[in-house]
Amino acid sequence: MNLNPAVVMDNGTGLTKLGFAGNDSPSWIFPTAIATASPSGNKKTGSSATSSSVSGSGTNGSNGSSNPYFGNSTSATNFGGLTGGKMLLSNNLAGKRGTEDLDFYIGNEALVAAQSPSYSLSYPIRHGQVENWDHMERFWENSIFKYLRTEPEDHYFLLTEPPLNPPENREQVAEIFFESFNCAGLYIAVQAVLALAASWTSSKVIDRSLTGTVIDSGDGVTHVIPVAEGYVIGSAIKNIPIAGRDITEFIQSLLRERGEADTSLRTAERIKQEYCYVCPDIVKEFNKFDRQPEKFAQFIVESQEKTKQKVVDVGYERFLAPEIFFNPEIASSDYLTPLPTVVDQTIQACPIDVRKGLYNNIVLSGGSTMFKDFSRRLQRDMKSIVNARISQNEKMTGVKSSGVDVQVISHRKQRNAVWFGGSLLAQTAEFRGYCHTKRDYEEIGPEIVRNFSLFNVM
Amino acid sequence: MPAYHSTFLVDPNNDRMVGNFAIMPLNTKYRGPAYPANSDYDIVDECLDLFRANSFFKNFEIKNQADRVLIYGILFINECLAHLKPNTSMNEAIKILTNVALDDFSLPGTPGFPLNAVYSVPIQDHNSMELLKSYIQQLRQELSMRLLNRLYADTQERPSKYWLGFTRRRFMNKSL
Repeated sequence: MNLNPAVVMDNGTGLTKLGFAGNDSPSWIFPTAIATASPSGNKKTGSSATSSSVSGSGTNGSNGSSNPYFGNSTSATNFGGLTGGKMLLSNNLAGKRGTEDLDFYIGNEALVAAQSPSYSLSYPIRHGQVENWDHMERFWENSIFKYLRTEPEDHYFLLTEPPLNPPENREQVAEIFFESFNCAGLYIAVQAVLALAASWTSSKVIDRSLTGTVIDSGDGVTHVIPVAEGYVIGSAIKNIPIAGRDITEFIQSLLRERGEADTSLRTAERIKQEYCYVCPDIVKEFNKFDRQPEKFAQFIVESQEKTKQKVVDVGYERFLAPEIFFNPEIASSDYLTPLPTVVDQTIQACPIDVRKGLYNNIVLSGGSTMFKDFSRRLQRDMKSIVNARISQNEKMTGVKSSGVDVQVISHRKQRNAVWFGGSLLAQTAEFRGYCHTKRDYEEIGPEIVRNFSLFNVM
Repeated sequence: MPAYHSTFLVDPNNDRMVGNFAIMPLNTKYRGPAYPANSDYDIVDECLDLFRANSFFKNFEIKNQADRVLIYGILFINECLAHLKPNTSMNEAIKILTNVALDDFSLPGTPGFPLNAVYSVPIQDHNSMELLKSYIQQLRQELSMRLLNRLYADTQERPSKYWLGFTRRRFMNKSL
């Protein structure tokens, strides 16, 4: 019986979050990327070199790490303002024979390594699911031994999976973790359920149920996932093709239309992270900018050598960019359904007896839900949709409705909500009881991980 | 939330109309057929207020009669912006926009106008068409001058680049 804290790993399409249960934020956040030695030796793939770097306050997250390759990032495509040409950490074994499969880097280091022609970059997770198991195994190996620096046989592991992940994938994960890494115990949780658990830290949540609607918006896609008593209602899940990257691109197009001095994607991304907010009404907000010129901001881009400075003015994109969730029409011509409508349709597609609980507990998760007043606007728009339906119903049937309470929960752990929910659950005393252990695995085989018992409400 | 609509109410039976184009009251010094508005806020102000928001929308459903005037106003603002450069001074801009406003323009409903699906006017009725033409002329003049006040609110040297940024946006995917 060991008492080491469980390891919590959340491998997302863009970013991987690593850490130990009981902590309130992940120890490592880096891109889910791996750079492997290219067989041809001179093929150049992956991210292109960026010529100017962006600087400002807090370049590289908040952990204050002095080593640039190990810093936490909030972007899946850059690595905190560093370009290649510098030393890599010491596991470069390219010179030796027969060790090619040890010659790889993950995370930020992979992005650096991929700038040299001898490495090729790949993202082993696509759309939330593992695509390349060989790369993923090596990615995990480095995560455990090089970043977390732990012995897997001493730790239980909590991993995450997207909703509707096929059971075969779980078995594959179990094979890797029990046979390659020999880990002590394993639990695989659905991301949306963990996001619900993370919302328990909000003061608005009173009953700690595992019923609610999770809106998970990362870089590539936004999911709306209904969860009833810990079970995902798979048939009602809806995806929205609008997420962080679309917002960044929209900001970029606005900067270009205005002819700003620097219109790179990274500048747009930084503007998104630092200046954007959700407004109640865009016409009123335009007029507010006219009356209060101090709402216009300036963003300073420094060139890589910090010799030249470019000033980028930040204007209406401050509130227009997140508006594309609520008015997709302003940025795209083929997707027109606003987020509140999609959430409402999702809940309406669920069994009628859970709908009230789903409206009551709408939980946000992921970096693209971090805009100021996002939850207020969503709650307001949802309420007006729901109230319109209720009053129409009352008119048609003549029966007075008891009303539906719409509540959108926003909390401080929202950015890494899935990881934090995992940390919260894996630190409880009961956690180990829910895991499958190495012995169970050897007794029964990989199919044991097809089922995990749900956490009871604590 | 779809695009923004006009808040002015036009009653097609009592208010002045040419076809389905409302002859709405304006606060203006320019000569023309419009009656003076009974409040400070008129359709010109509304066009200027809604221009930036509505420029992002490609779809617009006409909800009331005043919306047709709004569409014309927004498209005309876009046309004005297209004639200005980032370094045009206010004095030059006044000349340019006066010319744009007075330029020969095609009337809604006549061949050559880009949005004829929206407007239906009695082309054969010469008097009505004259009324429409002089009203739109008046609207264009007033709109272009009030637009200048907004463009040069900060400095007379050059127009606001935040406004000029909307030049390439196309409301309803159309331009005059």
